[in-house]
Amino acid sequence: MRPEHKPKIIAFCCNWCGYAAADLAGIQRIQYPDSLRIIRVMCSGMVHPEMVLHALNKGADGVMIIGCQLGECHYIDGNEKAMARAELIDELLEDFGFENDRFLITRLSSSESEQFARTVGTMHKRVLELGPNPNSNQDNGDTP
Amino acid sequence: MNTTISIEPLTRIEGHARISIDLDEAGNVADSRLHILSLRGFEQFICGRPAEEIPRIVTRICGICPWMHHLASVKAVDACFGVKPPPTGALLRELCQVMAHINDKILHFFFLAAPDFILGPDADYSVRSIMGIVRADPELANRVAAMRKLGQQLLEEFAGRAIHPVAGVSGGFSKPMTKEERQRLQQGCRTLLEFAVFALTYGRDEVLNKYQNILQTLGRIETGFLGTVDTNGAMRLYDGDLRLMKADGSFTDFAPEQYKEHIKEHVENWSYGKMPWADSWQEGFSMDLDRPRGIYRTNTLARINICDHISTPIAQEALEEFRDLFGRPAQGTLLYHWARLIELVYTCERSLELLADDRITGDMIRHNVQPGAGRGVGHVEAPRGTLIHEYTTDENGCITSANMIVGTTHNLAPMNMSVRQAATDLIKNGHYDEGILNRIEMAVRAYDP
Amino acid sequence: MNIRLAAESLHSCSGCEISLLNIGEALIPLLNRLQLVHLPLLMDHKYSDPAGSETEISIPKAEIGLVSGGVANTHQLQVLEAMRKSCTTLVALGTCGTHGGIPAMINEWPMADALQTVFSTVTTEPVDVPNQDTPPMLDRVYSLDEKTDVDIFLPGCPPDPTIIARVLEDFLDGLTPEPVTKSVCDTCPTRRTGKSERKLLRFTANARFDSNESTASMQCLLEQGFLCMGPVTAGGCGHQGEPACIRARVPCRGCYGPVRHQDNQMLGMLNGLVSQGIDFKTIIDRKSMLRFSGAHGRLRPLKEKKRAS
Ligand code: SF4
Ligand code: SF4
Ligand code: SF4
Ligand code: FES
Repeated sequence: MRPEHKPKIIAFCCNWCGYAAADLAGIQRIQYPDSLRIIRVMCSGMVHPEMVLHALNKGADGVMIIGCQLGECHYIDGNEKAMARAELIDELLEDFGFENDRFLITRLSSSESEQFARTVGTMHKRVLELGPNPNSNQDNGDTP
Repeated sequence: MNTTISIEPLTRIEGHARISIDLDEAGNVADSRLHILSLRGFEQFICGRPAEEIPRIVTRICGICPWMHHLASVKAVDACFGVKPPPTGALLRELCQVMAHINDKILHFFFLAAPDFILGPDADYSVRSIMGIVRADPELANRVAAMRKLGQQLLEEFAGRAIHPVAGVSGGFSKPMTKEERQRLQQGCRTLLEFAVFALTYGRDEVLNKYQNILQTLGRIETGFLGTVDTNGAMRLYDGDLRLMKADGSFTDFAPEQYKEHIKEHVENWSYGKMPWADSWQEGFSMDLDRPRGIYRTNTLARINICDHISTPIAQEALEEFRDLFGRPAQGTLLYHWARLIELVYTCERSLELLADDRITGDMIRHNVQPGAGRGVGHVEAPRGTLIHEYTTDENGCITSANMIVGTTHNLAPMNMSVRQAATDLIKNGHYDEGILNRIEMAVRAYDP
Repeated sequence: MNIRLAAESLHSCSGCEISLLNIGEALIPLLNRLQLVHLPLLMDHKYSDPAGSETEISIPKAEIGLVSGGVANTHQLQVLEAMRKSCTTLVALGTCGTHGGIPAMINEWPMADALQTVFSTVTTEPVDVPNQDTPPMLDRVYSLDEKTDVDIFLPGCPPDPTIIARVLEDFLDGLTPEPVTKSVCDTCPTRRTGKSERKLLRFTANARFDSNESTASMQCLLEQGFLCMGPVTAGGCGHQGEPACIRARVPCRGCYGPVRHQDNQMLGMLNGLVSQGIDFKTIIDRKSMLRFSGAHGRLRPLKEKKRAS
């Protein structure tokens, strides 16, 4: 029994929008939960479902993909691919023993820092409600 | 103090087993058991899957006779979906099945069983193996290796895979045979037949005759037999009716779909292997050596015993010779080896017979099938005995339940009895040695489990 | 130089050993260069003295150890540990050992349910699951590397004889075998047109091909609308430049496991299909895409609520 659950959320943010929005939130000193760990990717379209699953298997309590608004992907249709995959991920997570609420995909423009913080807040709450990742293969307990 | 002898692992057999033999205070056999140590649960995990995929999954029940599971399964799926393969498809399936028998028999006789006879049951374990034969008779070893390779290669070139095949498909076969392929196969099968005839003579003169003393006695028990025949009573491997024969030679024939009216499976709590027995004899189940009940055997000796004749000439001649010597039904456990060599000849002859049928190169190899709800039984004679798969499917054509009676399991009760018989006979007053324990294993090896 | 070889098969079908024997004539010179010290399918070395004083499983020391099959019961685990102790280099032979193989399909059910099913089929007398002198089953089927250190992975169900022969020869010559980096598609000669069906078909009708022509003239089976696992499966099966199942004109089902050891065949395949705009919801029984690689926690029992529905 852990006295207090400090969740970890991995966010794959695309370089052009998701990451820019996070950056801006930082510059503007907007508060958001410290459960977030950002991984910068060039485009949300390059996040293979395998990476989402890997994060969960390694003990992440939630995973987010944050890309550009539709029509604004810098690689034409990367975010549309990401959406199609997200549907797949949603459907498959239960196969691998994870609640599909542990995954969230969203789109932001680079200026939407407030929106960014709100979404992270929502995900943080969602994960808190779900409790710790039940099926993490992690057995070394190296939670920081 | 009572002791238990344990032989583990059983060697030169397929699968995982252990023998334990309990000795009483005087050092004589009080009890013995042949334990099957693992279980994989195919009946469970094929459930919910599209039936047409099952023939590609159940092959992994056994890597030595995957064609048998492949084809019994494909026949069961056909029955679930209500299709029958076109004549060419059926010929191609049977050809692959009998050719797979050829490879299996060469493997079993020469690689697994022969070391006991060629090098002797008392030879040191480090010598008593195919490697020992390589050293003692390199010419024979080379020839055997070449024939096995040829058999597997012929199947692989034609059907893509020899181990864990894929070419049998619901409704028929996945590819036709070209004229050139047919020619190559005919040539290959002729070579194999030549070898089979050699093997039969070699086995009889050089191996079995030298062991006359134990051929009829080691592991000998009195049981009934189960196998497959056509309407004329000729031995069949791919399809036909089942024939269940009692030890006195009387028999009943029935369609494979009716197997449940005749066969039940007994379970002992010391083995994961189930023991089928003849429920329809209405005498119950007992492995008592003097008064066995419900016990029948399958595999080569059974097929040789139950058939009225064999439809190919050289094998029929060998059958007649065998019957003159040992009667019908023959009960000696080591006679399984002899029967195996007769079947080796039959399977080569039968392959050539099938290849001679012009329909085999036809184009119409598969009917389209419509997945749906149904129930189906598929059966073939596997090298180790009658193999039965039964499935039910839902309206999507996915499996809802499965039952499989695997060739080897029919012989589990008889093998237990043969072990008991051999052990009781050979272990006296606490005396036993490596040679004696190997003889007990030889009784098991005859069944080729 | 005398290289000793030990081999064991655990939760397996013996097909891997048969494939070893299928090396054929070339096997004999190999056997002459190797000294077999333990190989239950071919020779009579036992675990211990029959009198039963030592219950330890003892396997002679060997430079190379081949283990086929995964691990599903306590006894297999002991044998694996004994092999690891005795062998300098441990080879996982076959997909059962590297990724669980077909037997790991059971991992979709709790083991107790599976045992129940097996011992309650229509022809089985009503009994309890055997539990005396039968090694208890583990909770699921494991690949070898989940239970011990494995030095060389040799997937394939079974690995082609030429692959086994090459690894043994490499070993005898003191070379390290190269790992596979190609997929089945990379080794497949079929014709790719770039146009494919949007919906996947069940394999209830044969592919389109001309039987008098080689497989190179046949259109890619995935393009023809059949689920073919070639893109996400490690290459190496078959000879003469065509994958074994493609030679039989049937689609690949993934028996060599994923291209990279840690990949997930189902995710990879679905990801590929989705990127091509194929509706993955039309796939019946998608978990079958993991039929060869269900160990490593890939296949697991569904949560109660989902199974009931
Ligand atoms: S990998 Fe395939 S051939 Fe090898 S033991 Fe497993 S099921 Fe049999
Ligand atoms: S998908 Fe199948 S048929 Fe197509 S190239 Fe790959 S292996 Fe060959
Ligand atoms: S084509 Fe695929 S399923 Fe067939 S043998 Fe090759 S890897 Fe295995
Ligand atoms: S670049 Fe932002 S989603 Fe593609």
